Amino acid sequence: MKQPTTKIVASVITIVICLFAMSCKHSNEHKYHTVKDKIEAESVTDIELSVSSDKFNETIKTVPINEDGVEFLIPERKSQISSYNCTECHTKPIEQLKQAQVGTKAAHWNIKLQHAGAEVMNCATCHTSNNMDNLHSLTNSEIDFNYSYKLCSQCHQQEFKDWRGGAHGKQLGGWAPPRLSNTCVNCHNPHKPAFEKRWPVRFNTQKEIERR
Amino acid sequence: MSEDNKKWYSLNLGRSKKTESCGCGKTSESCESEKPKDGYDQIMDVPMSRRSAFKKITAGLAIGAGAVSTACSVVSGDESKEKSAIEWEEYFKGNYKLMTNEEKDKTVDRLTRSYELRTGKNLNMSSKDAEEDVLFGYAFNISKCQGYMDCVNACVEENNQDRSSEMQYIRIHEMEDGKGFNFEESDDNYYHEVPAEGHFYMGTQCFHCDNPPCVEVCPVEATWMEKDGIVVIDYDWCVGCRYCMAACPYDGRRFNWKTPEVPEEEVNKNQHYLGNRLRKKGVMEKCTFCVQRTREGKNPACVEACPTGSRTFGNLLDPDSNIRWILDNKKVFRLKEDLGTEPKFWYYMD
Repeated sequence: MKQPTTKIVASVITIVICLFAMSCKHSNEHKYHTVKDKIEAESVTDIELSVSSDKFNETIKTVPINEDGVEFLIPERKSQISSYNCTECHTKPIEQLKQAQVGTKAAHWNIKLQHAGAEVMNCATCHTSNNMDNLHSLTNSEIDFNYSYKLCSQCHQQEFKDWRGGAHGKQLGGWAPPRLSNTCVNCHNPHKPAFEKRWPVRFNTQKEIERR
Repeated sequence: MSEDNKKWYSLNLGRSKKTESCGCGKTSESCESEKPKDGYDQIMDVPMSRRSAFKKITAGLAIGAGAVSTACSVVSGDESKEKSAIEWEEYFKGNYKLMTNEEKDKTVDRLTRSYELRTGKNLNMSSKDAEEDVLFGYAFNISKCQGYMDCVNACVEENNQDRSSEMQYIRIHEMEDGKGFNFEESDDNYYHEVPAEGHFYMGTQCFHCDNPPCVEVCPVEATWMEKDGIVVIDYDWCVGCRYCMAACPYDGRRFNWKTPEVPEEEVNKNQHYLGNRLRKKGVMEKCTFCVQRTREGKNPACVEACPTGSRTFGNLLDPDSNIRWILDNKKVFRLKEDLGTEPKFWYYMD
């Protein structure tokens, strides 16, 4: 009678020990099968961090925006435009100014619109001839220079959505909230939005020699 | 830690300046004494982690004795006494992973002080730990990268990489359209106007895998993944075996074949123990997601430098972060996903 009982007890103990050993092995190091599982399991809403991007953003004048519930900062624009307010010169409608300027070199002579084609865009697509201090949308509603992305997003919807989400455009400051992203015109010249070709800033001469 | 190995020179142990001594190599003399080490020696010599020091490991105690005698000597100056004391303590310090916060502070103090003694300049070195609820991740837009390489330069400057050997953590591969991700045929050292017709650009660096094979193979546990997901190296514990370099399927790790040199005026003084502090000959190094910046909330230098916005960095555990939006809304992929290394570095296209 006694022997079977001890056997059972012994086997139970071994099983328990085995289970313990196994569970210990799996507990820490490889808790998740993929990093996606880890992200899903450990994500936290309203994370409280000891760091923030406030001090990095301080160097730039910013304006807050809220696009479809996504809130972030973009650089303020108007103070960066060298001859703003535009109405300091644009006191009269464009046509009258043009007439007054006949024979002299026109202001903004250096701006040549290379954005879409002439059948799609001209100066007046964005600029308002009787109110140069603001821009206007396709349906003639006023758009502040600080929020010029609203103008761009009329045509560039996909880019706008990516930018709002964070997949398009450059992050400034830090990764920690609050978020500060470049607005369209910080990277793209609205009159000539394509990036230009240029030489790379680095060439490894040593590497070139070694690989020969 | 002193790169010029003042400790041993000042004691005049019969070794001249190591100009181009073997990287364990075959230059005529003295690699022969690299015999297997016993337990005591393993602890004793690893923190030095200079191959040259291994050669005469038996001199270890003499060095210690020498340091003590310098420290107690009445003839040597205060500075050299302090130097010896620092070197003595640095010599016997442990693996960073096992250090208490107090010990971390102490070694940071010693390293900054020894730099001050050496150059007269002050460093700002940190040993800041990982933040709670943070897991760093990175996304790279291959439709946007134009191959300008501004990131490479920024990285070299930020991370005090050796200038003469052109040590770089980032590689920008110029790939031909229609050939897929063919690293064999791509060029990472192009010099012509970019973007070149019919090509796209893809940057690689350490991907900070969540299941890092490099960590697995390290025989001395000198490399590990921090809680915020950054794979780091303790440069003072690394023995330079380069197992990790062989284990990495992404060519993410670099080895210091020579003593790294950075002109004094170009040294980035804002440092982290696990990040961009000055390295030595014979140790591994690699991208640390700029731990000295990112633990303060800043973006890595490459993100800051990129003029095209191809690079996004952020907290994977924050559902409102840019990086999470990319993962959730764009079609993302990683390199060699089938290996199960789980890189935290995603590529995507517009």
